[in-house]
Amino acid sequence: MNKKHSGALIIVPVLSIVISFLIGCIIIAALGASPIDAMQYLWKGAFGNVRNLGTTFSRATPLIFTTLCACFAYRCGVFNLGGEGQFIIGSILACYIATQAPVTGAAAIVLCVVAGAVGGGLWAAIAGLLKVYRGQNEMIITIMLNYVATLLMGVVYTNWLRDGSVPQTMAVPDETQLPSFLGLRATIAFPIAVVVGIVVFYFLFYTSSGFQLRAVGLNMTAAKVNGFNVKRYLFMSFVVSGAIAGLGGALELLGTQLRLINGFGAGYGFDGVAMALIASLHPLAGIVVAIFFAALRVGSTTMQTATGVPTSVSDIIQALVIVFSVAGMAMVKLPEFRNLFMRKERKAV
Amino acid sequence: MGSFITNLILASIRMASPLIFLSLAELYSQRAGLVNIGIEGIAAIGSLTGFMVSLISGNPLLGVLAGALAGILVNMIFAYATITLCAEQIVYGMAINIFAPALAAFAYRVYFGSGSELVQANLMVTLKGLLGIKSDSFLVNLFLDQTPMVYFAYILVIVTAVYFRRTKSGLNYKAVGEYPKAAATIGINVIGVKYLSCVICGALAGIGGAYLTTCYSKTYVDGNVAGRGFIALAAVIFGRWSSGGVLIACLFFGFCDALQIRLQLINNTLPYQFFQMIPYVATIVVLALIGAKKAGPKASGQPYRKEER
Repeated sequence: MNKKHSGALIIVPVLSIVISFLIGCIIIAALGASPIDAMQYLWKGAFGNVRNLGTTFSRATPLIFTTLCACFAYRCGVFNLGGEGQFIIGSILACYIATQAPVTGAAAIVLCVVAGAVGGGLWAAIAGLLKVYRGQNEMIITIMLNYVATLLMGVVYTNWLRDGSVPQTMAVPDETQLPSFLGLRATIAFPIAVVVGIVVFYFLFYTSSGFQLRAVGLNMTAAKVNGFNVKRYLFMSFVVSGAIAGLGGALELLGTQLRLINGFGAGYGFDGVAMALIASLHPLAGIVVAIFFAALRVGSTTMQTATGVPTSVSDIIQALVIVFSVAGMAMVKLPEFRNLFMRKERKAV
Repeated sequence: MGSFITNLILASIRMASPLIFLSLAELYSQRAGLVNIGIEGIAAIGSLTGFMVSLISGNPLLGVLAGALAGILVNMIFAYATITLCAEQIVYGMAINIFAPALAAFAYRVYFGSGSELVQANLMVTLKGLLGIKSDSFLVNLFLDQTPMVYFAYILVIVTAVYFRRTKSGLNYKAVGEYPKAAATIGINVIGVKYLSCVICGALAGIGGAYLTTCYSKTYVDGNVAGRGFIALAAVIFGRWSSGGVLIACLFFGFCDALQIRLQLINNTLPYQFFQMIPYVATIVVLALIGAKKAGPKASGQPYRKEER
């Protein structure tokens, strides 16, 4: 990868975001609201005061985990689309321990978090085994497992751990809830997410295992010829990425949602995939992208209240960013495009 | 018990139909070397468009046509990005899966507001209703109590089989998916065929989505495609990339879906979610059993660049 290329890795997503926001503004105008007002409320809602900033961080936390989950797996060439299912399995285990086990407080939190990560890892391991030993398409398997996990969660909140007449589980007891982060509305799950991102970054780019894992992702045949244990790395990428998502699910339950309820974790898996792709599979960039999209969502609620523009505009903008940035990324790699670029440069010289 | 089984068979046929459209969509795409995992998203758009047009016009058939058109439009984004810009197909399919349902959800919110009241459209009339037949025997219900879309699905399976096996054009089409460079040297317009495949794929995926709101359920809800686009991907693998195989796979998955609904109705001890898991678990089990014998088009998933020699 040459220098110009790495420049494109930043320029393309930024340009995609700008274009997507412009289209978003056109849609808002078409709905009869003022785009400038809407954008102002969007910004205020997301970053306007400390309280909103905390909400943004809080919303970003689960997205960071599923983004890292996607980053890690894709670096090894594994399309784990099951972040959502792994996230949910992690939260189910955490819910059981937090509400049923005879421990509370810090010990319970640690237990929940470990169980969540293990659960997410094992759930992903199902797909990993089928991929490594049966050569099966991991995308379909992981997506099917998402549906199974979501339905299993449904059983938990409508039956097994149902709390009274409402289809939801009982709440995590006060002592087992995560402490707040710097007095913000976000909990310590947010800094944990950032730390996990840094660890993933360090592992992928500064350790030999990480190098080998990326080598498997870039060219499996070459990695095999070089004597890397390809199967081990493939399987590991499933388990670790699943564990990251499961950890996120456990923390989301203990910190923010407190109960399992219909819609818990819905869409987080695919959101994570989108954000990882926009971030070009870079874990630290992934954190930034996740915070950005969380801000967009938090801000859009304020925007809806103030201007009447529906919050789903933010989903459209997010979707447009992914559509443009992936296409843009492919475009700058085209030989025709490179030639165009080079010629211009030569003229300039 | 007798009515349980006959109802199960009837429901299997109904539930297989949307899967047949979606699987054939994927088949046409993969036969031209394009793995499109975005059909789930395209079906969502088709589903919403079909619902809205059939609601406004009062004609479900128009809804299906509109769904096909919307599917084509969305799939043209995929086509441009993967064929012309050579974007990775899997990645772009995912992008479509995120973009298209978001668009559908947004359009629904804007048009119907965010009220919780569900708007209902007319369902397509079955052939039995059209002909005014009163009989309620099993065979009459099996062959005549189906919407025109069901017959269309089965006709499409036959047409596809004949096209790929018996016609020169079909063989040329397959050549693009097997070995595009060789196809180009004998004068086949590789890029053209790939774009054509995206038009067919988009239309069929849109129809598959529209089926859900014009023939199956009177309402549109977000996520009503419920993974059928991905099950269709599995059906293409399971069916070994032939339309006959795909049909069998779809009937099997349709049966799982029907079984799930029937079991929910007669059971009240187990939580219903366990039955809802059946189609998804069946897909995993089927894929695990058939293993990884590669039988698909050889150039599937690979970008085609003209100037590469």
